[in-house]
Amino acid sequence: MNTFLTMENITKKFGDVYANRAVDLSVMAGEVHTLLGENGAGKSTLMNILSGLYHPTKGHIYLRGHKVKIHSPAQAVKLGIGMVHQHYMLVEAMTVFENIILGTTKHKSFFIQKDKIKNELLALSAKYGLDIEIDKPINEISVGAQQRVEIMKALYRGAELLILDEPTAALTDIEVESLFRIIRRLTSEQKTVIFISHKMREVLEISDRITILRAGQTIATLIKSETTAAELAHLMIGRELITSEYEKKTVNRELILQLDQASFNATSKHNGLNAVSLTVGAGEVLGIAGVDGNGQSQLAQLVTGLIAPDDGDVHLNNRKVARFTPAHFIASKVSHIPEDRNKMGLIGNMTVKENLLLKSLNSSRFSYGKGWLLRRRQIAMHAREIRQTYDIRCASVEQEIRNLSGGNQQKTILARELERDIDLLVAVHPTRGLDIGATKYVHDKVIEARDRGCGVLLISADFDEVLKLSDRIAVMFEGEIVGVFPGINPPIHEISLAMAGKKQQTQDLAV
Amino acid sequence: MKMNTKVVQFLVPVLSILFSFFIGAILIASIGGNPIEAFQFLFKGAFGTKANIGETIVKATPLIFTGLAATFAYKCGVFNLGAEGQFVMGAVVTIWLSSIQLGLPRIPMLMLSIVAGAVAGGLWGAIPGVLKITRGLNEMIVSIMLNYIAILFMGFLYSGPLREDNLPQTAQVIVKLPRIIAKTRVHVGIVIALVVAFLIYYFMFHTAYGFKLRSVGLNRRAAQVNGFPVKTLMLLSFIVSGAIAGLGGSVELLGTQYRLMAGFGEGFGFDGVAIALIGQLNPIGTLLVAYLFAILRTGATTMQVGTGLPTSVIDIIQALVIVFAVAGSALVNLPKIRQVLANWSAEPKKGQGN
Repeated sequence: MNTFLTMENITKKFGDVYANRAVDLSVMAGEVHTLLGENGAGKSTLMNILSGLYHPTKGHIYLRGHKVKIHSPAQAVKLGIGMVHQHYMLVEAMTVFENIILGTTKHKSFFIQKDKIKNELLALSAKYGLDIEIDKPINEISVGAQQRVEIMKALYRGAELLILDEPTAALTDIEVESLFRIIRRLTSEQKTVIFISHKMREVLEISDRITILRAGQTIATLIKSETTAAELAHLMIGRELITSEYEKKTVNRELILQLDQASFNATSKHNGLNAVSLTVGAGEVLGIAGVDGNGQSQLAQLVTGLIAPDDGDVHLNNRKVARFTPAHFIASKVSHIPEDRNKMGLIGNMTVKENLLLKSLNSSRFSYGKGWLLRRRQIAMHAREIRQTYDIRCASVEQEIRNLSGGNQQKTILARELERDIDLLVAVHPTRGLDIGATKYVHDKVIEARDRGCGVLLISADFDEVLKLSDRIAVMFEGEIVGVFPGINPPIHEISLAMAGKKQQTQDLAV
Repeated sequence: MKMNTKVVQFLVPVLSILFSFFIGAILIASIGGNPIEAFQFLFKGAFGTKANIGETIVKATPLIFTGLAATFAYKCGVFNLGAEGQFVMGAVVTIWLSSIQLGLPRIPMLMLSIVAGAVAGGLWGAIPGVLKITRGLNEMIVSIMLNYIAILFMGFLYSGPLREDNLPQTAQVIVKLPRIIAKTRVHVGIVIALVVAFLIYYFMFHTAYGFKLRSVGLNRRAAQVNGFPVKTLMLLSFIVSGAIAGLGGSVELLGTQYRLMAGFGEGFGFDGVAIALIGQLNPIGTLLVAYLFAILRTGATTMQVGTGLPTSVIDIIQALVIVFAVAGSALVNLPKIRQVLANWSAEPKKGQGN
């Protein structure tokens, strides 16, 4: 086989952060080449460079031995590179046919030569087993079919190399099988496929070769037949035991939060919870490890009242929760650092002062008559105090929060959530996008809350963070808790395997 | 920072008005008129005599109500384009009360009429609200459709059951709002409008409920995560918005028009939306812009009489104010402009960033 694509020494910097650092990738014509790595390992950046969305800071790309510069997505298409994004780029109200020809100028004619193009598409469809109903609108076909439309779009534009970004994320098992059949048909016709995934089983089933990225760097390229799931998981996670600067606790105290076989949208592997049972005790950090999109968002929403379980129970302070509304959970002393601070945590157009007030509006400290007259002076004084103690860097507390840096925004949320009398803190990706200083600050505050006797449910896609802070670690995969591990001397190898979907014996730790 | 946000909020409408008059002047000159003379007549018409000043206030009164109605809904992030229908329904209930001969003394009758008008507007406004939060229907479309229903229903009344003799209009209301300035038509409605504006201002910026309402308007998801009853607040804002418009309809009927006939309330709803937007969704701004619109309306007639220029010139100026104000608001929100404004305003730069 010939080398189809070589990416050499690719480096991409965003500000001072390296998303890719001297990455090498070599893909043979007609192979399925998997890029394997955790969230933030640099897979997407690398593929965005290849499809012309980003320009590398350094490095070269060769296609069939010729050096190319890819300035734009249009040029990538011209070079025969087609990308199927994780979130499909389709116009819902238009038909499959219209979506496929959208923006193409293959036939140099003013009118759309509908019959001619249709025949071409049908031929493509038959050749690769794509099985598409060409005249249906997108919103009437299944997710799997939409994906096939995306593939067809790329093929119709003459793609020789197809990049599939987490193509199985939204599919059912049967749809995955049919996708794999299509991939095999493609490679048998000498098309080349780059497959992005972090699901070990699928990777081992479909790949010819596997390149592992970690922290923006190439770790290894392996031939499928010569490797094992264990080796891949180890290379992907790649950590030795880190010594945590925080003291871990093991004492069992009273339960704050208890989930009993809670299910939500249980058939969805990526946006659901399937009979999840877990507990968080007072003065304990339970860390949820796992690759993003295995139900962590739903877990966070469930224990903050944003969604109600379809089945199973949630207990707070040993009382069964009957009403699932955020207001009820807030009143039950649950605080929430939400996963998306701009969309869920803050009101960008409001000031720092106002954002600090969000959860204590009706308290007698800040208003007379249960909210009928806000005590402006008290509110401003409180905000200034918080600004001091939490070191929120802003021009004044009257500054709109959207103009602050991510770290200072997160400190504002922390202050709001921790300066209440709370029993449980639900922290979701609490340091996402923060620099080292701000991250340390958030970690210190979380541990401080724990040491005050607050239970903490920490959900993070950053495995290091989970290892560092957790007194116990539970691993989520496809909506289930697949293992619970101790936070002291955590068995990293086993945890990595669990994160990659290998079920195992839960250790002797009550869930 | 806050100071400067306020300065920008103030500058956008003011500059919009100046630009509009400038372009209006070019327009007048291009059709052979004398812009300076035209504007002199315009302002003479609005302010020239005591009666003129009064007339401007009378014209401003209903616009203040519909402007406030639009402001209130926008603040909660919902779009009430049905102020005209709610305005009409407020008036309809008021005239109905007047027609059934309750025999109440004047003051209680006036109070009952006004409150009933507000309730009717509130109920009419609740319809798009309920449909939105329970069925997910687009409130803009529903509220516009309800305008037609209200207007046609009013037409049915003044040409049917409540017709006066054989004219397509109702009888006069049996009680009228008292006039408050001698030799003008200014009635107590303007006082009610000012009180309502003040109450809305107080509610929005000095109570926890107004705070929550604004939160929902600015970031619905974050409001929900922070435990605010988003749907209830949205419904509340529809009802209050409708009630303000309904109150306006009642006041307009009792203070100025006295009877329903074709054209009652026409255009007030959409003018209200424009006024709210130009007024930067601030109750006080709404007052000022409603007054400006009234100046243009009273002045336009005088200008036409004095110079022979068509009143549509003034309509064009009014439309330009809307265009400039909306474009200006969009402009100051562009990332690059915002950057410039932020740099320009963040004088003490110490402690920025992290």
